Amino acid sequence: MRMLAVNNINVYYGKIHAIKDVSFEVKSGEIVALIGANGAGKSTILKTISGLLRSKTGSISFNNELITHTEAHKLIAKGMAHVPEGRRIFLQMTVMENLDMGAYIRKDNYKKDIESVFQRFPRLQERKNQIAGTLSGGEQQMLAMGRALMGKPSLLMLDEPSMGLAPILVDQIFGIIKELHESGTTILLVEQNAEKALAIADRAYVLESGKVAVSGTGKELAASDKIKKAYLGG
Amino acid sequence: MTEFFQTLVSGLSLGSIYALIALGYTMVYGIAKMLNFAHGDIIMVGAYAVITTVMISEAIPGIVAVVISVIVCVVLGVTIEFFAYRPLRKAPSLTVLITAIGVSYLLQNLALLIFGSEQKSFKLDFFDMIKPIYIGKVYINGITFLTLVVTVIIMIALTLFINKTRLGKAMRAVSEDKEAAELMGINVNRTITLTFAIGSALAAVASIFYGGAYTYIRPTTGSMPGIKAFTAAVFGGIGSIPGAMLGGILLGVIEKFAENAISQWSNAIVFVVLVIVLVVKPTGLLGKKINEKV
Ligand SMILES: Nc1ncnc2c1ncn2[C@@H]1O[C@H](COP(=O)(O)OP(=O)(O)OP(=O)(O)O)[C@@H](O)[C@H]1O
Ligand SMILES: [Mg+2]
Repeated sequence: MRMLAVNNINVYYGKIHAIKDVSFEVKSGEIVALIGANGAGKSTILKTISGLLRSKTGSISFNNELITHTEAHKLIAKGMAHVPEGRRIFLQMTVMENLDMGAYIRKDNYKKDIESVFQRFPRLQERKNQIAGTLSGGEQQMLAMGRALMGKPSLLMLDEPSMGLAPILVDQIFGIIKELHESGTTILLVEQNAEKALAIADRAYVLESGKVAVSGTGKELAASDKIKKAYLGG
Repeated sequence: MTEFFQTLVSGLSLGSIYALIALGYTMVYGIAKMLNFAHGDIIMVGAYAVITTVMISEAIPGIVAVVISVIVCVVLGVTIEFFAYRPLRKAPSLTVLITAIGVSYLLQNLALLIFGSEQKSFKLDFFDMIKPIYIGKVYINGITFLTLVVTVIIMIALTLFINKTRLGKAMRAVSEDKEAAELMGINVNRTITLTFAIGSALAAVASIFYGGAYTYIRPTTGSMPGIKAFTAAVFGGIGSIPGAMLGGILLGVIEKFAENAISQWSNAIVFVVLVIVLVVKPTGLLGKKINEKV
């Protein structure tokens, strides 16, 4: 089943034409990767999906519902979560308060979900009363992901979760993405680390200056000479 | 010694008024990242709302006039935000600042048109109901006492609201990162409206105490306390709620002691202190600089 369908979007920053006629889809249960060089437009696409930016053309639908013009704050209730580039956790709030903000729209008792976030990220539990701004980069990424999980998303969009992390932590984060996927979350993953992203992705789209240049399964793309040259350093 | 405490009490009382107004500046700055220079004039409107209500009928109790004044100010503040500032959400800050100054002149001139330029006496029935008290030889009149008590209650309530409630946390989230807050499902526009409403309500309360202390109002009544409260907010660290409280109170106390020492220089001394604080600590007394990790 199609969970997310992005249909012919064009996004501008003033006169800069950042996204040009991009279309792609994410099926329920997939991990889809968006890869591409700096400035290719990956983050712009995620922000457009989550309603922070608007496309001049086309449409976006989520679970067969048109969300092209839906206000950003209404999407989390529909099951969409976006972990933005640079984590964007609330630095002056505690770890716990950040998780509370992730559950902002929830009216039910979400204590159990906090427990399960802590189980997934034990480091957060040890630091639950610490001010988020004092966490290490890796812990901040964990908090950003944990905060997004508090909304119980069916689609989790991650923008460069491995950015600036040491190799061990990168492996750990990718491990967690796999686990989340196995537990039923559909994932749209934006990554600079093309090798790792292609390794776990069912399908991937390669962006070049605002356009989809190539698409295919993770395996196909990882094996393609062209992709190897451009993104995999070989 | 009595004189010292007497000055301290009047300083604390004046400072409470500044603090109530400064909270409006600092909360709006923290959340909408703008200096709402029309905030001072909300005080003036609040004061006129009170005397107009009492003028309609002597039978209307003062407390009802206060409630009406709060409602008028909240509606006005929210309306100004909606029509004047919201369309400029993405505009350069200078544009917003000039708009705010424009709104300030608009309010003053409307008041001039409706109420005339002559000063009007400001009095409410409950001012005399509270008996003056003596602590030792220090004299505290009714309105001063009321100002201190009500301000302390408001400060405690506001602090609890911001730190403990869901809406208060949403306000903090919006002030830190609007986009991230939006992604959490927080309606950022509505949160900004709420902030203007709270700030305006506090300004209405401040107008009662200011009117009570000075007993006369005119269309420009809001300017001076507005500027002082803005100074207090910067002094305490603009964007910081405890900073606005501390800055307002300190400013009032400094002003009263300065007035006692060399009366005609009191305003100058207030601003010299501000400059010194900002040179030593550019973020103000309690302002924070956030280190972002990338
Ligand atoms: N706020 C902005 N104003 C103007 N131009 C912008 C803005 N944000 C992004 N751009 C431009 O849009 C294009 C796409 O940017 P985007 O951030 O989507 O790229 P990206 O693929 O996420 O890059 P990176 O891997 O570096 O994060 C770039 O050319 C960028 O310079
Ligand atoms: Mg990016």
